[in-house]
Amino acid sequence: MKLREHAYDWLAWLLIGAVPLLIFWQNATSLTEQSVASGGPMSNAAAYPAIIAWILLGLTAVNALRIVAGRISQHSPLDPTPTTRLAMIATALFVAYLLCLGWLGYYIATPVLLTLLFAMLGLGPIASLAGAIAATLIVAAVFEGLLNVVLPLGIFNFTLFG
Amino acid sequence: MFDLLIEGAPLYFSPASVLLTVLGIIGGLVIGVLPGLGPLMGIVLLLPVAFHLDPIPAMAMLIAVYVGGSAGGSISAILLRIPGTPLAAATLFDGYPLAQKGRSQDAIGLSITASSLGGLVAGIVLIFFSPVLADFALNFAPPEYAAMALLGLLTIAVVSEGSAIKGMLAGGLGLAVATVGTDEFTQAYRYTFGTINLTSGPNLVAVVVGLFALSELFVQIEGGNFRDRPQIQKLRISFRAFRLIVNHRWNVVRSALLGTGLGAIPGAGGDVSAFVSYAVAKRLASEAEAYGEGAEGGVVATEAANNGTCGGALIPTLSLGIPGDASTAVLLGALFLLGFFPGPELFQYHADVAGGIFLAYLASNVVLIVLGIVLVPFFGTVLKVPKAWLLPLVLLLSTLGTYALQNSVFDLWVMLAFGGIGYVLRKANYPLAPIIIGMILGPVLENNFRRALLLSRDGPMIFLERPISATILAIAAVMLVYVTITTVRPRKRS
Repeated sequence: MKLREHAYDWLAWLLIGAVPLLIFWQNATSLTEQSVASGGPMSNAAAYPAIIAWILLGLTAVNALRIVAGRISQHSPLDPTPTTRLAMIATALFVAYLLCLGWLGYYIATPVLLTLLFAMLGLGPIASLAGAIAATLIVAAVFEGLLNVVLPLGIFNFTLFG
Repeated sequence: MFDLLIEGAPLYFSPASVLLTVLGIIGGLVIGVLPGLGPLMGIVLLLPVAFHLDPIPAMAMLIAVYVGGSAGGSISAILLRIPGTPLAAATLFDGYPLAQKGRSQDAIGLSITASSLGGLVAGIVLIFFSPVLADFALNFAPPEYAAMALLGLLTIAVVSEGSAIKGMLAGGLGLAVATVGTDEFTQAYRYTFGTINLTSGPNLVAVVVGLFALSELFVQIEGGNFRDRPQIQKLRISFRAFRLIVNHRWNVVRSALLGTGLGAIPGAGGDVSAFVSYAVAKRLASEAEAYGEGAEGGVVATEAANNGTCGGALIPTLSLGIPGDASTAVLLGALFLLGFFPGPELFQYHADVAGGIFLAYLASNVVLIVLGIVLVPFFGTVLKVPKAWLLPLVLLLSTLGTYALQNSVFDLWVMLAFGGIGYVLRKANYPLAPIIIGMILGPVLENNFRRALLLSRDGPMIFLERPISATILAIAAVMLVYVTITTVRPRKRS
């Protein structure tokens, strides 16, 4: 099956292959319940997505055969680099940031995230902290001050330029 | 041709539009200079800002970033032998050897002037051909629009880098994502999974930022070398290139026209046109053996071609609503979200906007030639900024930009999800541009497909009964047969 050599190809295959299944499932449930899964072109909201789903299904089947038959010239092994771990940690930090953003607000959550990221990528602690605070304030001044965007206020209801 | 420019002049020549053109060129050049980023990333990062501006200043800024970013990649190719963008890959053949001979200023000057002049030649073609093509598209009814959207998507999927099957899968994924939200005909909620956040579908900007910016950040962190500062020769401002470029005037025109022609074919892209123009210039050069050793003509050919491609890619984008590449797909999406629909209607009902966009494109190329030369020492400094500073800042801008559109944290989760999808697809060598183009063309395809069926008495036969749609579909069918043959036929082993 060349599972290791084409690991990302299989992951992508699973990802894209799941889409038509979701479409068929929703057509059979949600869209049928809303009475829009049958009839003419005006009243049938499921027909066009179903065509896309069948095409995707056909193409994923062909692609699976190509992977199995070794007809894909470029390999896509998982092959982590020495810094893949850092990338994973950065992603985890970003997930934590998104979870806390609404609660802590932009002015608290963002400098913390940036300081950690700067430090993680090799900058010194003072440079990281100063850079994070400066970037947070400059970007906030542009978005809040110039573009009138309301940045997440958090529980402290705090804003500087709004 | 000139009517459009005259109508667009009052709209474009405002302090905001001109200032944003200048800032866009600077931003585009900076982001183009930085290896790994590029015009698409620049447009993506500034897209959320654009929605807080009036339409023409917003489009002026995005177009300037597109033009500046396409030119900026050559600077790192010349100085570091690392093309800032794939568009500049061919520039290093002669740009880097020229720099090694102590002529880095000449090489950068030539690349900037050739880019700018190439862009201007393409601009003239754009202004001349877009209205003609749009006029022809006035004959289009729903079957033709549906066929055209299908052909556009198919072309991009097939011509994109990587295999055609992967391109088509990516395009299909984009079409599927575009079906999420409220169905325009029945007002039913499709594939929203009960959440109110998806009733208008996933935010296009969140998807674009996730697919391109977030996945790129992950790849960049995986690449390491966060604190590297490359050694670069000291650079000064020099206007010698203005004199040197005169010797290459025909090369500029020829390469720009080649770039424009290839750019107008959806999916062909600037990198293809740069390599083709390089090969043609080398073949026609009196001293062909100098190519690859630091020939000025090599730099001129590739740069005139890749900026010519920008103008070329805008032709189908503005006149038919079919984007020529990923960057123009995002520009097209921006135009949609700013309330204008590219195609014949744009030229018929909003001629001033079309003219304003043309002027923005021309002005961007004029500004490029000045700023590109004057800011050369600054670009040398930009190249020394380590990734440790850049990557978190790009993440912050991506995040706030996406959030700012609808003040929605949900959009940030969409961005993150598509960042993950983009990363996996990148690693599996899928082209990402067809996803965005599928998302943009999806509603056009579905609405016109269903409207055509509504008009028809013979069901799907309407697509074959009308000559234009039948011709477009025949071209699509030929393309599909070609793809099938090349996919099924065993590869030649060398």
